[in-house]
Amino acid sequence: MASAPIPSGALVLLQELNSSSSHFKQGASLRVNGKLQEHNVESAIAIIADGGVTLAVDTQHLRLNLRVGSLYQFIGELSIQPNNEGILKARVGRNVDGMDLNLYQQSLKLLRQFQSDQISHLALNHG
Amino acid sequence: MSVIRCKSLELKLKRSFFTQFEALSSPLRMEALHNTDVKLLAFDFLSLTPSSTQPNAVCRRDTLLISRAETLGVVTSREHKPDIFLRFTIDDGTGCIPCVLWLNQLTSPYHSRRSPPDVRLIAESARNFATLIQIGVSARVRGKATIYRGKLQLTVSDVFVERDPNAETLHWLQCIRLAQKCYDIVPPSLPPIKRKANDLKD
Repeated sequence: MASAPIPSGALVLLQELNSSSSHFKQGASLRVNGKLQEHNVESAIAIIADGGVTLAVDTQHLRLNLRVGSLYQFIGELSIQPNNEGILKARVGRNVDGMDLNLYQQSLKLLRQFQSDQISHLALNHG
Repeated sequence: MSVIRCKSLELKLKRSFFTQFEALSSPLRMEALHNTDVKLLAFDFLSLTPSSTQPNAVCRRDTLLISRAETLGVVTSREHKPDIFLRFTIDDGTGCIPCVLWLNQLTSPYHSRRSPPDVRLIAESARNFATLIQIGVSARVRGKATIYRGKLQLTVSDVFVERDPNAETLHWLQCIRLAQKCYDIVPPSLPPIKRKANDLKD
């Protein structure tokens, strides 16, 4: 029953995903949200946007009916291209129309703070 | 998001929080959440340690005994062995929780002591849960926190697919609030788990 562990997709906002970001690494597992701007059926490349920033997502492994203008969430691995552009090779995708992105962003800040506090506490007690 | 949905989310948050908070008001706080589905983020779940005193329980920071947990996240892997088990992972953005849903109720000797109609119902329910678990769905999963080959996993007893795209955000907030207001609070007058267990032996 043992199988290779599946990496968790780190919660990242598109605005945070620039070349200086700690998440902007070859093979980094990420979870991103964005509104679908374009979708090329032949190449399976989708362009999602959030907060004025766009990201290309390779959807070739997904069986998802993509609609331009809808909101999607993707989990996958980042592939850095020679031109230093990132493409997310998605292994999971879902429609999240109705998601409150403002609530999501505010909650994500709280979640990160909480996680950081908990990990510091664990390190103090077991370090 | 509409005002009605906001109110509904707020009510859900309050209801869930107070249910677990009341459980923690028990004088036996360390065991207060035993047999309760404790809402945990994946990174928190994965840091649980086996209890040195109770065989079917795990500990959170050596202060809270937990036997059951609840997680909510996206299904990111699925391995199905018909009539045996469904293994899958739930990714909530803080980690991946390995889950196992047993599907062998009709053939396993473990269930032979139960009445056949009950076993058939459990088996049917498990089969229905297995069909709900598909890659990419957002699933709320409850079950026993167990250890398999030295690693924590959730042995699933209940699955609910969340249609509301804000459900995960709400779950994060619930987990944070419960941890800060309930799980992390250790009353100074109560002994730690190990001493409590020794007292019980005497």
